[in-house]
Amino acid sequence: MMRTYGFQPCREFHIVVLGTGGVGKSCLTAQFVHNEWIESYDPTIEDSYRTQVAVDGRQVILEILDTAGTEQFVAMRDLYMKAGQGFLLVFSITSQASLDELATLREEIIRIKDDENIPIVMVGNKADLLDQRAVDRAKAFTISQQWNAPYYEASARTRTNVDEVFIDLCRQMLRRDDSGQLDDDDGARNGSGYGYGQGKQEDGHGPMKKKRRRKRKGDHKCIIM
Amino acid sequence: MSVMLQTPSRASTGSTTSFHPLSRQNTMSSYEGSRSTRQSKRYSMSALYMSMSANDSDLIIEDELARAQKVLRDLKTKISSQSKKNFVLEKDVRYLDSRIALLIQNRMALEEQNEVASHLEDATDIQEGAFPNDDKTQKYGNLLFLLQSEPRHIAHLCRLVTMAEIDSLLQTVMFTIYGNQYESREEHLLLTMFQSVLTYQFDNTPEYSSLLRANTPVSRMMTTYTRRGPGQSFLKSVLADRINSLIELKDLDLEINPLKVYERMIEEAEAKDPESPEAMLPKGITQEEAAENPKVQEIINPRLTMLTEIANGFLETIIDGLEETPYGIRWICKQIRSLTKRKYPDANDQIICTLIGSFFFLRFINPAIVTPKSYMLIDGTPADKPRKTLTYVAKMLQNLANKPSYAKEPYMAKLQPFIHANKDKVNRFMLELCEVQDFYETLEMDNYVALSKKDLQLDITLNEIYAMHGLLEKHAGELYKDENSHLAIIMSELGTAPPQVPRKENRVINLPLFSRWETAIDDLTAALDITQEEVFFMEAKSIFVQILRTIPANSSVARRPLRLERIADAAATSKNDAVMVRKGIRAMELLSQLQELKVVDKSDQFSLLRDEVEQELQHLGSLKEVVMSETIKLEEVYKTIRDHNAYLVSQLDTYKSYLHNVRSQSEGKTRKQQKQQVLGPYKFTHQQLEKEGVIQKSNVPDNRRANIYFNFTSPLPGTFVISLHYKGRNRGLLELDLKLDDLLEMQKDNQDELDLEYVQFNVPKVLALLNKRFARKKGW
Repeated sequence: MMRTYGFQPCREFHIVVLGTGGVGKSCLTAQFVHNEWIESYDPTIEDSYRTQVAVDGRQVILEILDTAGTEQFVAMRDLYMKAGQGFLLVFSITSQASLDELATLREEIIRIKDDENIPIVMVGNKADLLDQRAVDRAKAFTISQQWNAPYYEASARTRTNVDEVFIDLCRQMLRRDDSGQLDDDDGARNGSGYGYGQGKQEDGHGPMKKKRRRKRKGDHKCIIM
Repeated sequence: MSVMLQTPSRASTGSTTSFHPLSRQNTMSSYEGSRSTRQSKRYSMSALYMSMSANDSDLIIEDELARAQKVLRDLKTKISSQSKKNFVLEKDVRYLDSRIALLIQNRMALEEQNEVASHLEDATDIQEGAFPNDDKTQKYGNLLFLLQSEPRHIAHLCRLVTMAEIDSLLQTVMFTIYGNQYESREEHLLLTMFQSVLTYQFDNTPEYSSLLRANTPVSRMMTTYTRRGPGQSFLKSVLADRINSLIELKDLDLEINPLKVYERMIEEAEAKDPESPEAMLPKGITQEEAAENPKVQEIINPRLTMLTEIANGFLETIIDGLEETPYGIRWICKQIRSLTKRKYPDANDQIICTLIGSFFFLRFINPAIVTPKSYMLIDGTPADKPRKTLTYVAKMLQNLANKPSYAKEPYMAKLQPFIHANKDKVNRFMLELCEVQDFYETLEMDNYVALSKKDLQLDITLNEIYAMHGLLEKHAGELYKDENSHLAIIMSELGTAPPQVPRKENRVINLPLFSRWETAIDDLTAALDITQEEVFFMEAKSIFVQILRTIPANSSVARRPLRLERIADAAATSKNDAVMVRKGIRAMELLSQLQELKVVDKSDQFSLLRDEVEQELQHLGSLKEVVMSETIKLEEVYKTIRDHNAYLVSQLDTYKSYLHNVRSQSEGKTRKQQKQQVLGPYKFTHQQLEKEGVIQKSNVPDNRRANIYFNFTSPLPGTFVISLHYKGRNRGLLELDLKLDDLLEMQKDNQDELDLEYVQFNVPKVLALLNKRFARKKGW
């Protein structure tokens, strides 16, 4: 089966999946991309995925980087964050500590991207483990509102809200793209792929360059399954 | 070789003891065949006597071994204190990294600039000081002794504190309370603490698939633990060479993701000839389609072979390094194994290995492979292609430890032959990692030895003490419910924790540690279930060894076979050496007592005792070699961490200068700029800069290099002009205006190359040079 595309080149976005160890980042990603549930104990060091999805009738190519949650790999984060255009911040609803760690991650993203409106989706995974719930849904939602990011509760195991979180992130990125929000450095890199860590040249923000700030219009939502 | 990694001599570093337990090699099987508890107590007893007599400080043995040991001991102390300094500096640099980034982006308010500046100014060495009164010194000495010798309190505390509090707690614990990284008592106490925290985690994790995955106090402890001297030097000796030779091959592309290979292939073809068939290939195909493309396969296949070869090389050195693996790391693996077996009795070896792998590979080896710079294994950041290769290597190693699911990246399945070929080997290796002896039997003894020596002390800062005090207080309800417990008594006497003092008032305190609840040494024999005969025997052995080490090796008394009576007699009658005389008399007494107790027999020249003395002496002889080679290794470690320290300090200096510059500029708007003095030009030859590593690549032909020189000028603070000249020509060939901001930003983005057309400069080295050369009085 050969897919061809019309004149309009497909948009390509880079998504980075972040969160502490064992919250299910890989499971979410593998469910989304391959429709597969990973049963085995297989900590990630760095995995990359590519997939194509239709978002509101538009074809988008996603390059998804699934990262190590293990804190010992923290030195790799900078590189990921520079390359990413949209971020999935994942925690497990069974662990308050895993939610606490997201705050640091978010701060780091905003610092590195120098942009407070960088597309982010907050995901409370393992929503099927209701009896082990340790994070109040309302509490997580409040945090997501403070961050101006949508919040989803998802379950990679039951494939609940898996597509939704990725699609939401795509919408955010598309919206920015359409309204010219993306600067060259994190602009859509159409067509040819590039490896993470490349394309540094474009990455420099001059000292004087001010990013335009934009208030996202009230699209906060708490998605309940 | 297991030299530096074997558990250190048990006697504390403060003494000149010569005792070195024979069987403490970390390769000893923990199963049967190891020495009995009783025997180990004898060893401990012997250590006790050795250290006690040495501690009298009236018998200072001055042979070569003693000198070599002293050198080694000093080195270990230096490494311990230096690695603590680096740990603290690293934290400062990390903090400033993020602040400076904001500053560069002009996003910092003036007040915040001042705050950062004050942070920088304080980042100097903390002065020494003392508590205002003896009472405080004594009480904190009691508290810290209790915390150090009873690790359960800190273990408990680690579970109670938040992730925000844990870093500074662990810093105090690992680099101060148990900061003596090569001393077995402190090491063992620290490991006991680990065990307690690990056990708690196993008990409180419902399913094994989430064990050791989350970032918890345990994982944070593991990170900090691997940062101590032994872990660092192990990583360096096992990985540094392999990583360095790999990153030299900057252009070696071993990407095996078919999509990426496919895309790069098209890109290259387009660049060469846009009309070529490759350049016309369709874009945006799926991974499966890319993987089926014969051209892609042609590119990938040899890469698979190479990756396998490289990963095999890494694996080989890691497995060969079994004996070099630090005792503590191996002991943690052992704990993971036994806790797994206890909690999941059905767990097979595969599950156990998976969990060990999630510590040994995931948290120790692989982070160092993937980000070698942050583990001081290499100087620069690896280029993209080597970085990717290192990531593949780490993934392959991790796949060996865990059950890889190719659902994530299907193309990784191509590396399955590597997994099949090595899986059993790696599992065997991980189980062998667990084969180390426990230390409980000796730990109790170590504590007694420590007690008997009145020189236990700790270098600790006021703020560390107060923070610890505050944390204990905060969790009083959990930590010391029983008001009669030792901890509760001390805490109630200490009262409320003082607040943290400002950085510039912080002091390092040399705190003598001692227990209020002394244990008399005399009670030991009873407590240890050792007979009077054995005590005499040990003491006799120890004294003879000491005498023999003191008298010249070529004297007639020292002739073999040893005649113990004669030796005792010679010592007892030696001239001008009261200590020797005393030792000699004591030796004679002991001989006759042992004779009476029928432990030894004069008629066979006390052969039982004599042979043991002889054995001990021989062991000490080989010990000298061990000590020497350990010293050589540790010197290298020390050099590495000192280099790293220099790097951190220069980084701080750069930030300092930059900040001064920014602030003086903003001040300059209102006030007239104080003396706008042009600094320079400073002249450097091509050769000089090449030697210092500033020039990392040169396109200047060899025979012209002698005629090339550079001028560095700073017309304004924070602004530099670098010009390139050719001898004999008036005008420079090239001139480059540089702002400090730009250089810092390049550095931040890991852009190491500064292009001057004819030569390429290395950004961090340029910064260091500017820093050194243009340091204005207050910044630049």
